[in-house]
Amino acid sequence: MKRRRKLWITLGFLAAFHLAVLFAGFFAPYNFATQNREFPFAPPTRVHFVDAQGNFRLRPFVYGLQNDSSALSGFTTDFGRVYPIHFLASGARYEVAGIFSSSLHLFEVDSPGRIFLLGSDGYGRDQLSRFLYGGQLSLLAGLLAAALSVGIGIAIGALAGFYGGWIDDVLMRGAELFLALPWLYLLLAVRSALPLHVSEWQVFLLLICAIGLIGWSRPGRLIRGAVLSAKERNFVVAARGFGASNLFLLRRHVLPQTYGIILTQLALLAPQYILAEVTLTFLGLGVGEPMPSWGSLFAPLQQYAVLVSDWWMFIPAVILVPVFLAYYSAADTLQERLKSVAL
Amino acid sequence: MRSFPRFAAALLYVAAAVLCAASVVRADGLTGPPGASSTANEEDFLVTNNHPGHEGGQIVVALRSEPKTLNPVLATDISSRDVIRCLTADLIHINRGTLKTEPSLAESWKLSPDGRVYTLKLRRGVRFSDGQPFTADDVVFSFHVYLDPKVNAPQRDLLIVGGKPIGVEKIDEDTVRFTLAEPYAAAERLFDSVAMLPRHLLENEYNAGKFDQVWPLTTTPAQFAGLGPFRLKEYVPGVRIVLERNPYYWKEDRAGTRLPYLDRVVFLFVDSEDAQVIRFQSGDTDVLSRFNAEDFRVLQQTAATRHYRLYDLGPGLEFNFLFFNLNDLSSRGLPEIAAKQAWFRDVRFRQAVSAAVDREAIVRLVYGGRATPIWGPVTPGDKLWTDDKIPHPARSLDSARQLLKSAGFSWNGAGALIDPHGKPVEFSILTTSSNVQRSKIATLIQDDLSQLGMNVHVVPLEFRAVVDRLLNTHNYEAAVMGLANGDTDPNPEMNVWLSSGSTHLWHPGQQKPATAWEAEIDRLMEQQLVTMNYAKRKELYDRVQEILYRQMPLICLVSPDVLAGAKDNVADFHPAILDPYALWNVEQLYVR
Amino acid sequence: MRFIFRRLAHAVLLLLAISFLSFALLQLTPGDFFDGLRLNPEISQQTIEGLRAQYGLDRPLPVRYERWVAALLHGQLGFSLAYKSPVGPLLRERAWNTLVLTGTATLLSWLIAIPIGVWSAAAKGKWPDRISGVATSTLLTIPDLLLFLLLLLLAVRTGWFPSGGMVSAAGDANAGLWATAFDIAQHLVLPAAGLALVALPALVRHIRSSMIEVLASPFIRAARAHGISRMRILFRYALPVAANPLISLFGLSIAGMLSASALAEVVLSWPGLGPLLLESVLARDVYVVAGTVMVAAVFLIGGNLLADLLLFAVDPRIRTDS
Repeated sequence: MKRRRKLWITLGFLAAFHLAVLFAGFFAPYNFATQNREFPFAPPTRVHFVDAQGNFRLRPFVYGLQNDSSALSGFTTDFGRVYPIHFLASGARYEVAGIFSSSLHLFEVDSPGRIFLLGSDGYGRDQLSRFLYGGQLSLLAGLLAAALSVGIGIAIGALAGFYGGWIDDVLMRGAELFLALPWLYLLLAVRSALPLHVSEWQVFLLLICAIGLIGWSRPGRLIRGAVLSAKERNFVVAARGFGASNLFLLRRHVLPQTYGIILTQLALLAPQYILAEVTLTFLGLGVGEPMPSWGSLFAPLQQYAVLVSDWWMFIPAVILVPVFLAYYSAADTLQERLKSVAL
Repeated sequence: MRSFPRFAAALLYVAAAVLCAASVVRADGLTGPPGASSTANEEDFLVTNNHPGHEGGQIVVALRSEPKTLNPVLATDISSRDVIRCLTADLIHINRGTLKTEPSLAESWKLSPDGRVYTLKLRRGVRFSDGQPFTADDVVFSFHVYLDPKVNAPQRDLLIVGGKPIGVEKIDEDTVRFTLAEPYAAAERLFDSVAMLPRHLLENEYNAGKFDQVWPLTTTPAQFAGLGPFRLKEYVPGVRIVLERNPYYWKEDRAGTRLPYLDRVVFLFVDSEDAQVIRFQSGDTDVLSRFNAEDFRVLQQTAATRHYRLYDLGPGLEFNFLFFNLNDLSSRGLPEIAAKQAWFRDVRFRQAVSAAVDREAIVRLVYGGRATPIWGPVTPGDKLWTDDKIPHPARSLDSARQLLKSAGFSWNGAGALIDPHGKPVEFSILTTSSNVQRSKIATLIQDDLSQLGMNVHVVPLEFRAVVDRLLNTHNYEAAVMGLANGDTDPNPEMNVWLSSGSTHLWHPGQQKPATAWEAEIDRLMEQQLVTMNYAKRKELYDRVQEILYRQMPLICLVSPDVLAGAKDNVADFHPAILDPYALWNVEQLYVR
Repeated sequence: MRFIFRRLAHAVLLLLAISFLSFALLQLTPGDFFDGLRLNPEISQQTIEGLRAQYGLDRPLPVRYERWVAALLHGQLGFSLAYKSPVGPLLRERAWNTLVLTGTATLLSWLIAIPIGVWSAAAKGKWPDRISGVATSTLLTIPDLLLFLLLLLLAVRTGWFPSGGMVSAAGDANAGLWATAFDIAQHLVLPAAGLALVALPALVRHIRSSMIEVLASPFIRAARAHGISRMRILFRYALPVAANPLISLFGLSIAGMLSASALAEVVLSWPGLGPLLLESVLARDVYVVAGTVMVAAVFLIGGNLLADLLLFAVDPRIRTDS
């Protein structure tokens, strides 16, 4: 029962997070591309309930932000200007999954006030908005790419492990080949074959294919190992003795034993693939500015100046840790449940 | 496994050598004095004008990458050239402090009245770092190598004047005559950085046609000899290269001390700009140059506690610009781009883009204020040549809209800009993804132009892919790039402005000038090349700058400041706006 | 013996295939090494064409590949366009540095992973197991890049560790052998720890699960009934039996280690193969790329081969199989 509750909590958290990403337009106070050139690298805005006079206000508010080159961060708070936060207010128009459009936002402050809950980037764009919008592309692409490479891994691993012999040799040497090749080259070549400007959808498909197709060899090898040991199990050998066909054996007895590995690999690869996009962006295969993606959100962290002085740029990366952890824990729990069902 | 003891043995050897050096009063006593005292008297020293420093110590400098070669003729990358500059010397040198030419290995030179013949008098008694004398034969040999078409020296093209290689002949042991096919303005600047080679070490390999394999990084100190303030001591692959004092160096200070002051210069290989900044901040390196303004801001915070100084020299010679593809694409099979060229070729379109770009925002957001907005291609850092008459109009969306309207553009209901045929204006800006600053500039321009209703995409690609598109396939629409002049003089830039030039970026290698204004620039540039008088040259070059400002083939954006840093105890450190920014006077640096 | 020969033959074929594909892929990429000079206004197009011809870049791909293989048979890995020197010596030091780093990290991660894995298997479901479970999954979810950046930040902020490189600035060149080794070890701490942290979670999990399986088997229960001490059962009886899947994991972990190490080397400026490969791919320095890829492939294939041979030696079932 306890395990079950844990699973539900995890799944609930994941569902909430994905909804927030899907309805980024509603949860994000700004458009991802809106630049506030007066406020580059502004630290997270603090939300206040108690004003300068010590009065408690029911409606939370933020203070205005001022440029001040003498301050360490380059900004000071202007306590003279108070901007209350309006909930469910209307602001910039946005679309949800290209289906319907709205201008309703969860929260807003009146211009010229700004609310950057996660700080702003080098162009003064709201990091929270960019994080939420960026997830739309990154999450889906990461998950689909992981599914693709695990899918190929299953097919190849199962074939190699189950049939053995020369098939195994060819496929496993193929996997080693894939591991050893300088993929950067292929990606450079792919980019040069593409048109100058690649649309967002093309980028999306490209990310999935590029990452998914390259990454199958590791899950493939692991699944092969699991198949190899599964087919030696007594009940599989017995079933074979009863005249079960290869296909039946694979489907009914062997593959179910690899579900654990498959789930774990999916949960492991998705986060890695989401981040692989940083490299691809460098090669011009990622989404171009101003479209956000999680990979492009992390890219500034590689600059020393950002790394040491703008700590809030780490927040998106830190938020992802519990999300990935939830994925992983869900996969773990599911794996154990599957095991108990299978036995 | 094998390499470790060998490595350790090398270190032990170095340790022993340094201990020996410590017991000798002057370190150049280590390998024996440069001849007996009588020959030393014949040395024709160049006496420097700096405040005398004291000898000893070392400085550690980080290089962006491992140098590729020690061969001065073939080196093309910055790291190799930085090292080679410490190891070699030229005949006539451009003083990075004054930006004027001054005697180097040539103690004087004469120019014939027709401006075609240079007669150089060599300094007497100069020796290579291995003790062998330097003579006119070495000069002739060196130029022979540089000019040999089979060697493919990158500097060869500069030494071809009027379509013919410079003629070099030895008059006597210390006189060499250079003959130019036609008069060439400021020709003595060409001698800068043409390193003199030791004929006695390299002639055999050159004659055997193996010059491309001369002096790789794995060269041993015994195989190397140069005329620079330092000589090769040790190379550890992937880690560092160590230079030691050249005991035969031919400069001395007013107090009669033979330069350089430093015992050693150590170059560490540190892969990235960020890592270089980190190593400098943590005190591992003594001198820093070529870093960006964001890092300058970070470094400022610890300058006092970690004992280093930072320098902002103001605008350098480098500048960034936006340009459109004006190539003739008729045979390229790029119909979509060719269709957009109707906009790009309209000067009012280019002027409108220039008016809409927020240069001040670029200065602030990309360079943290450490850059200067520019409207013409000669930066304010190049004080001799920049044209003060070029206007500095403020950003104005209104005037941009006026220009677009006059060119027949209009706006549809959604606010998008459409051309006279009703086609929405949409194009991509190419940048190099490795250059964070240029990518940021492109992103800002994208936002600026969206306010005019243009739909602009930023396409960051890796460097060689960008070059391939710009110069080989011409498959691009617009690009943000930068140029860094090697000199303040306009001559090395001829290839950028001549319509036939291979770096005439917007339309390279034209058979004949595609437009009247390009023909005019060609004429002016050719004319200034053979004009000897500075004021007249300046007048001609100003007209080139004015045409470029009116026609806007390059929409010039900003010129970043040259930044440098050095530890407090590095004395006589005077960074310059000309490459090599920091170590140009390495022989005068000393440790307090 | 036949098994070994067959695997070696495969390895050679594989290396040939990898090298050919590396060459072919390079042919497809835009720009070549000398295009890097194209934006320099001081260098003419003719000079660049001359350089191309001089280094044979104007010749077709099959010719270049054939020459490269011929040179390889003479023990040469080609000529670096950027370094103007043979590739072999260039790679030797770099490969050694990478080996030092990955070797240390592998050792470190197994040394930490085995006791933790065994312990949490022995205490399955109890709090040590839970703690190690949470810790390993948290580690798993931290992106490699972020982890290395955090380590770098740690070094920069605290000054406890050197902030990159493999040896200190050259002042120490006159230090003795031990001082040098100590210096390298100091620089090794951060990258090796980072790599070990990357590899650790997967190792702990695999060790734990195969130990759990073994601990549930009848012979362990019998041993326990005989009153043999817990420690002895865990490390003397159970661990060797659980080693089988771990050995193939070892082979596989080399590939993971190499790719993670490339990232660590770049972020923490360790002078290994990773930065060299990145630099030469971007510079289109063909033969250095081919050489680096070959060295990495040899490590990779060698690791897998080693694992297979170990398995072959340990597990009689596989021996009869082939």
